[in-house]
Amino acid sequence: MNEERYILFDQYLQDEMSFEEKLNFEKQLSEDAELASALDTFKELQGQLENKFGHENERNAFKENLKTISKSHFKSSKPKVIVFKPMHYAVAASVAVLIGLFVFNQNPNFEDYNQPENAYFTERGDVNITLKQAEVAFNAKKYKEAIPLFELVLNSTKTPEIQYFYGISLLENDRIQDAEVVFNELKTGNSIYKNKAIWSLALSKLKQKEYDSCKAILLTIPEDFEDFDQVQELLNELD
Amino acid sequence: MTNNTIHPDQIYIEGLANNNSVVIQSIYKKFVPKVVSYIRNNSGDQDQAQDVVQEIMILLFNQAKANKLQLTCPFDAYFFLLCKRKWLNELKKSSNKGVTINEDFTSNNESTEEMVTETELFDEKQQLFDLMFQKLGDKCKEVLQLSFSLKSMEEVAEKLNVTYGYVRKKKSLCTGQLTQWIQETNRFKSLKIT
Repeated sequence: MNEERYILFDQYLQDEMSFEEKLNFEKQLSEDAELASALDTFKELQGQLENKFGHENERNAFKENLKTISKSHFKSSKPKVIVFKPMHYAVAASVAVLIGLFVFNQNPNFEDYNQPENAYFTERGDVNITLKQAEVAFNAKKYKEAIPLFELVLNSTKTPEIQYFYGISLLENDRIQDAEVVFNELKTGNSIYKNKAIWSLALSKLKQKEYDSCKAILLTIPEDFEDFDQVQELLNELD
Repeated sequence: MTNNTIHPDQIYIEGLANNNSVVIQSIYKKFVPKVVSYIRNNSGDQDQAQDVVQEIMILLFNQAKANKLQLTCPFDAYFFLLCKRKWLNELKKSSNKGVTINEDFTSNNESTEEMVTETELFDEKQQLFDLMFQKLGDKCKEVLQLSFSLKSMEEVAEKLNVTYGYVRKKKSLCTGQLTQWIQETNRFKSLKIT
């Protein structure tokens, strides 16, 4: 390998040559196409190295975020595949009619809108046992059990996803003020749980029958929220 | 390279580069379903579609971060064509099984194709670079990694407990080694084509 050449390249690109050395080097470049093309490659490699290592943390954060968003996107689109039997439709329809009659002309209530989604934290290879236990307890709606487990996990790893499900557990367990603290923190962040947290805040107001503040919060949820139809439905009922 | 004007959909590119969750979500909502149904209609399933989409998003992030991504066509067509071609390539790689390809989308305009070609070239260069980087010795890898993530070469020297002169030289020579390999590969490639 022509060591001298690459040391010169680096000096040239760092602009560390004297005026004369530089003139001399540029003259060589204009006469030697092979040298010029090697310099181009060298320069491009520096760019690639900069891109690879200079943005490493940002890239990892992006990948993490992407994974979460992808997971929740595909999770929420999956249930469409489930095949309902006609009998189920009939039962579901009659239940819906009954609920409809019952709720008609009344204030909406928390239970109608309270449909916590399942948590899926652990993936292949994950070994956080406490988090797995929290997930199992949460999905089994054993919120009281889930709360201390989430707290344990949050001591070492604080992600918006875990915070969100912790907040839901608190809300379900009537620890409203604690839940609101969690949701308010997520609300000020920029994670994908931001809108879900605002929706949960609205539900928390609904649970306390504070209809005006519930409405005020609902109006701040942007249209691209995935459950925006629920938001509108609740707003209509509140009117 | 481009005297074309930048398309307003550049916001999606900026959003990816800034890791903006709202933008990423809207890409999933608006553009991903089309990719998923294409892949499912062409011998793939949802999980495979999910992987293809994620890989393309990471590629766009990298290209945007290198300031080499200026969209001159609608994002929709560009993104779809990238995902589609990636999927077709993967099918080709594993095509000893019977594969059905429903080739019925062909209305791409020139500027979209140009953008896609540019991104694929970026991808190819990046993969070649990664491959060559892996061939370097551990010391080279370490010096280069630190040289391009720390603020100054003085810091690199301090961190590795060696002199400034040593890390400067090492950095030049390791980049030089990569330069040599890449040039050899390119020469080899152009021989193969002709």
